[in-house]
Amino acid sequence: MADNIEDRFAVETELLGLKLLPGQEANLRAAYGVLREAVALVGTDYPFEAEPAHVFAPAPDWASRR
Amino acid sequence: MTASDPCFLSVAEAAALIAAKRLSPVELVRAYLARIERLDGTLHAYVRVLPDEALAAAHAAEAETAAGRHRGPLHGIPIGLKDIYDTAGVATEGGSKLCLGRIPAADATTTRLLKQAGVILLGKLTTWEFAIGGTAFDTPFPPARNPWNTERDPAGSSSGSGAAVAAGLCAMAMGSDTGGSIRWPAAWCGLAGLKPTYGRVSRAGIMPLSFSLDHAGPLTWTVEDAAIVLQAIAGHDPGDPGSADRTVPDYHAALASADLKGVRLGIARGMFERDCPASGAMGAAFDAAVEVLRRLGASIAEIELPPLALYNATASLITRSEGFAIHEKTLRERPQDYGALARDRLTIGAYVRASDMVQAMRRRLMLVEATEAAMAGFDAILLPTCPDPAPVLGELGPYFDNRRPMYMRPFNLTGQPALSLCNGFDDSGLPLSLQIVGRHFDEATVLRIGHAYERATLWRERRPQL
Repeated sequence: MADNIEDRFAVETELLGLKLLPGQEANLRAAYGVLREAVALVGTDYPFEAEPAHVFAPAPDWASRR
Repeated sequence: MTASDPCFLSVAEAAALIAAKRLSPVELVRAYLARIERLDGTLHAYVRVLPDEALAAAHAAEAETAAGRHRGPLHGIPIGLKDIYDTAGVATEGGSKLCLGRIPAADATTTRLLKQAGVILLGKLTTWEFAIGGTAFDTPFPPARNPWNTERDPAGSSSGSGAAVAAGLCAMAMGSDTGGSIRWPAAWCGLAGLKPTYGRVSRAGIMPLSFSLDHAGPLTWTVEDAAIVLQAIAGHDPGDPGSADRTVPDYHAALASADLKGVRLGIARGMFERDCPASGAMGAAFDAAVEVLRRLGASIAEIELPPLALYNATASLITRSEGFAIHEKTLRERPQDYGALARDRLTIGAYVRASDMVQAMRRRLMLVEATEAAMAGFDAILLPTCPDPAPVLGELGPYFDNRRPMYMRPFNLTGQPALSLCNGFDDSGLPLSLQIVGRHFDEATVLRIGHAYERATLWRERRPQL
């Protein structure tokens, strides 16, 4: 994987097979930086057993479920 | 505008007059059509007006009333629908060139329920392209303008819904809210906007943006009107996988209490003083509203929620990912047919990795639980809806501008009911806003608080001068 964010954006764009329109690349590159910041903020250091929110409609016992 | 203009009756007021046969649905529709004709060339709230169909429906409603069949408080009430709500036989184009000429065969569940309750559809309302495209100038539909100042943005994505209700171009409108798109135009257009609990109102037949964050709900002039509409559209729908099978209470009965004795409110001050400081006018209006609520008998204390940025980052990854999943095929085949804003905001979702999405969903559950824990001992959370009043049209950050994040997205992530309502005006006459967030499926308390606040203040007496 490329080291800097611009190279990573270029590599991922190619891997995704995206054909960007003229002018789109600069906008998406900026947005990609914001996206990676969001990913970093959300983080990866979760307890092994931490589940995702796969049930969206809260059950009646939602608050006491865990 | 005159005090007797029927276009400025609330839904509740018009309903009472129609039920008493003192107001004809036909005359009401004619008044709205005339006003749309006069103003919508400037406001661009409507993408499609349905004069013949509306008048025919009004005559039918009047005939029903004459025959002694009255459907209830929405009987004969003229409304607008955001143009992502399917309407059988009437084009629903999502604000996009990609959907020009798309005519659904069936109504959205909410469209059907509203028709059954007796509403009259005046037309379809402007939306940001696919409810994400921002205030765009490169789609077939011009952006809506804010009736309080037509140089200002009405917000989105339910931009036409906000503009139409504020301008008196319909009695109420439906919007959708994935990151604030009911509450945001309600805030900037001086309205009540209710995002119900996730699962409370069906999204079947409404163009999706983000399956796990999309909500449907009303934009109305008063909180009482929002309660009336919610009563008609709430309930389980097997056609929506996210729909919840929960008892629907009597929302109007919940408004009966004039005071708020026993209601416990938590101020999420950290969000609008530390995480993203609200403007001076917004902060002052918030403090004044809190004093009104305190005088009404509510107990008030501070509540500490997780950081706004963490909610927003989590919601952003989910929205981008789900939005790209919906649009991937078309984005690859016809990217040139999207407006630039929608195209970019959807395409960036391709870069969210599967593991990023799973981590976001793990974080989501933690944030839901942290919010629940913070609400222990409280009935509702108070905070502004937005940090600032409406900016000049076109000045919203075009690409992922996170410098002034709004305060709405956390409650799309948690799925809690949230109401925006007007709590004043700044020095230039632009509306300010208060947000009330309740417990899951407790819209009744949210509406009760909002209604009590509205009755104790005079903000509903001011209308845009057009």
